[in-house]
Amino acid sequence: MATVSHQNGTSHPSQVAKRLEKFKTTIFTQMSMLAAQHGAINLGQGFPNFDGPEFVKEAAIQAIRDGKNQYARGCGVPDLNLAIADRFKKDTGLVVDPEKEVTVTTGCTEAIAATMLGLINPGEEVILFAPYYDSYIATLSMAGAKVKSITLHPPDFSVPIEELKSTMSKDTRAILINTPHNPTGKMFTPEELKAIAALCIENDVLVFSDEVYDKLAFDMDHVSIASLPGMFERTVTMNSLGKTFSLTGWKIGWAIAPSHLTWGVRQAHAFLTFASATPMQWAAAAALRAPDSYFVELKRDYRAKRDILVQGLKDVGFKVFPASGTYFVIVDHSPFGLENDVAFCEYLIKEVGVAAIPTSVFYFNPEDGKNLVRFTFCKDEETLRAAVERMKQKLKRK
Amino acid sequence: MEGKLSHAAKKITLSSIQELSHLAQRCNAINLAEGFPDFPAPPHIKNAAVSAINSDLNQYRHVQGVCDLLAKAVKEMHGLDIDPLTDVAICCGQSEAFAAAIFATIDPGDEVILFDPSYETYEGCVALAGGVPIHVPLDPPQWTLDTSKLLRSFTERTKVVVLNSPHNPTGKVFTKEELEIIAGECCRRNCLAITDEVYEHITYDSLKHLSLASFPGMQERTVITSSLSKSFSVTGWRVGWAIAPAVLASAIQNIHARVTDCAPAPFQEAALTALRSPPEYFESLRRDYQSKRDYIVKLLAGVGFKIEFIPQGSFFLFAELPDNWSLSDVEFVKKLILEAGVVAVPGQGFFHTDLSSNEVSKINCHYQKRYVRFAFCKSDATLTMVAERLSKLLDEQEHLALH
Repeated sequence: MATVSHQNGTSHPSQVAKRLEKFKTTIFTQMSMLAAQHGAINLGQGFPNFDGPEFVKEAAIQAIRDGKNQYARGCGVPDLNLAIADRFKKDTGLVVDPEKEVTVTTGCTEAIAATMLGLINPGEEVILFAPYYDSYIATLSMAGAKVKSITLHPPDFSVPIEELKSTMSKDTRAILINTPHNPTGKMFTPEELKAIAALCIENDVLVFSDEVYDKLAFDMDHVSIASLPGMFERTVTMNSLGKTFSLTGWKIGWAIAPSHLTWGVRQAHAFLTFASATPMQWAAAAALRAPDSYFVELKRDYRAKRDILVQGLKDVGFKVFPASGTYFVIVDHSPFGLENDVAFCEYLIKEVGVAAIPTSVFYFNPEDGKNLVRFTFCKDEETLRAAVERMKQKLKRK
Repeated sequence: MEGKLSHAAKKITLSSIQELSHLAQRCNAINLAEGFPDFPAPPHIKNAAVSAINSDLNQYRHVQGVCDLLAKAVKEMHGLDIDPLTDVAICCGQSEAFAAAIFATIDPGDEVILFDPSYETYEGCVALAGGVPIHVPLDPPQWTLDTSKLLRSFTERTKVVVLNSPHNPTGKVFTKEELEIIAGECCRRNCLAITDEVYEHITYDSLKHLSLASFPGMQERTVITSSLSKSFSVTGWRVGWAIAPAVLASAIQNIHARVTDCAPAPFQEAALTALRSPPEYFESLRRDYQSKRDYIVKLLAGVGFKIEFIPQGSFFLFAELPDNWSLSDVEFVKKLILEAGVVAVPGQGFFHTDLSSNEVSKINCHYQKRYVRFAFCKSDATLTMVAERLSKLLDEQEHLALH
């Protein structure tokens, strides 16, 4: 038995599990703290500074008052499972069984964790595209997966199909895709998805598809890979309430998959969080039944915000990449002469009063991200304009 | 495609407690199986949640005030000094706190000691992390700790001891002496402890809940997990926590952040109100549950159950089928649902036989199929209805005639 080691805070005592190498404090927390210290406008962390729609909040309040405060069924309140299935049919044309093919999770983040832990064995190979949302790599390490990262490069972050072809083999268990894509704002095109699908069918590979920004698709229609021929039987499609309804703190997400894959997701979910917040589930069912006008307005509002920020960033002098979807835009900061993305973000917070996120943490090889930073436009227009103003005043090209 | 499931997922079975709940629903049975109240949550706490939603506290949040109040609470209850800035991780229920604690400490192959009978989730969680559960049986009928059984269960691979007190399913509150023994071994073997103290405010007959962390040498090696769920009758809100030395708490926080990001924001806010509840709230909680306990013990003993151990805490009664009732626990519960319209949980699901209980003879194992767990966290009206339904099925000796 290893002895207790009285070590300083920076090293891991022997009693903490080995998998924790990947689990340090998130970059979001660090940047937010720095931003708060300096009174910076926070365009880093991806949550709105405006609130969700009244009708959804009212539904949660009503549920609390009606006494819906005890354990929900682990895989979800039946009415929510039904609403999710109905919404998925509207969005993709796919008919799924709400009882056997839909699992409610504690946010999309937990859907991802449960999918990895339920369906990946230690040592199995998983492909993902960099840059990626940082929790993917952490949960993959929890599952003991062997990770193969394929980098998407500016300016259009297109999928390198040849590289994917040579990376994928019969040893590959799964591929993880995120479309619309955080942090780049890219949307996987129908051609890219078809190519990925063909390879997955050929090699019998599962697809884990994070589609949490599917309602924020500006420049093209969102396509769920599960809807392509031969794909439903091998795909887990994940989504959540938080981004679409500006209620990121409610933690209601879901995973849609054929029953044999759903079973694995449900097992892991049972031991990760057991059940998700009951009143919020009732409210989520109401939310998902919102009329089309809600989603049209949502897109219109976000498109306007995107345009303010993107134009502003261009005027300031950044090289701005196309933000086709999500509420993120990625830019090249090198015109400003800072040595890397972290240094640039620190400079931006301290000297300019605006926070962004350095993207190196989203890459397997941090070097790949050193010229790129991510801004979010999920803020009210006044805030976005104020941030652009600050940058115009204080950020000078070198 | 079953081949696509992970080994861990294949080993674990769906919650049998929830399955019985479904059968109960279909038969319109009174649910004394699942451990949640059928009476409303306290109004002051519900109002706090409603207020939080209306105040736009709905985005990703960490409510530091919850940690501050928890620090105060563990100082008052257990004399423990903790730093609310570094020693507390707010999680999505005790479920997630426990899962994160396991993932933070268990490497594949590490052994975890659990006391049997035990809540079915612990083992599944340990297996998911690649750990090896080792069960130490508590001795019926008083569920006492046999020190020699405990000592024999430690190996050089033992990493964590899990302690649930007050205990589900037996209602046992571990004694000071038992906790001293467990603490002594943990220290001697340099193991960690993870406690599940969700029933910490539900103890009877003036028995005090003692936290294992308050014993000498234990604070530095213990993760305390608990939640709002049972203390405030809000099992569906998913707000829990892990309290541990900074290095462990930080590891747990980092895992939690990747598994769920944060606990539901409006309910973290409501937790501030809950955790500020006056002593009178907890006294009346205890009083109400004690009277329900007394009622159900009297009722079930009266219809023939063998109740040699009166619950000291939690809201569960682990009642033994008398020797002359030939049905097994599972058969009994099925008949109870179909004939009496009442559902409880067969006890065998809480017992585990593995390497450490090899020495337990087949005859001794027989007891594992003779217990039924009844949850009494139900309104007086519900409990009265249970009495009425049972009264229709009594024989001449006034005993239940299902056997």
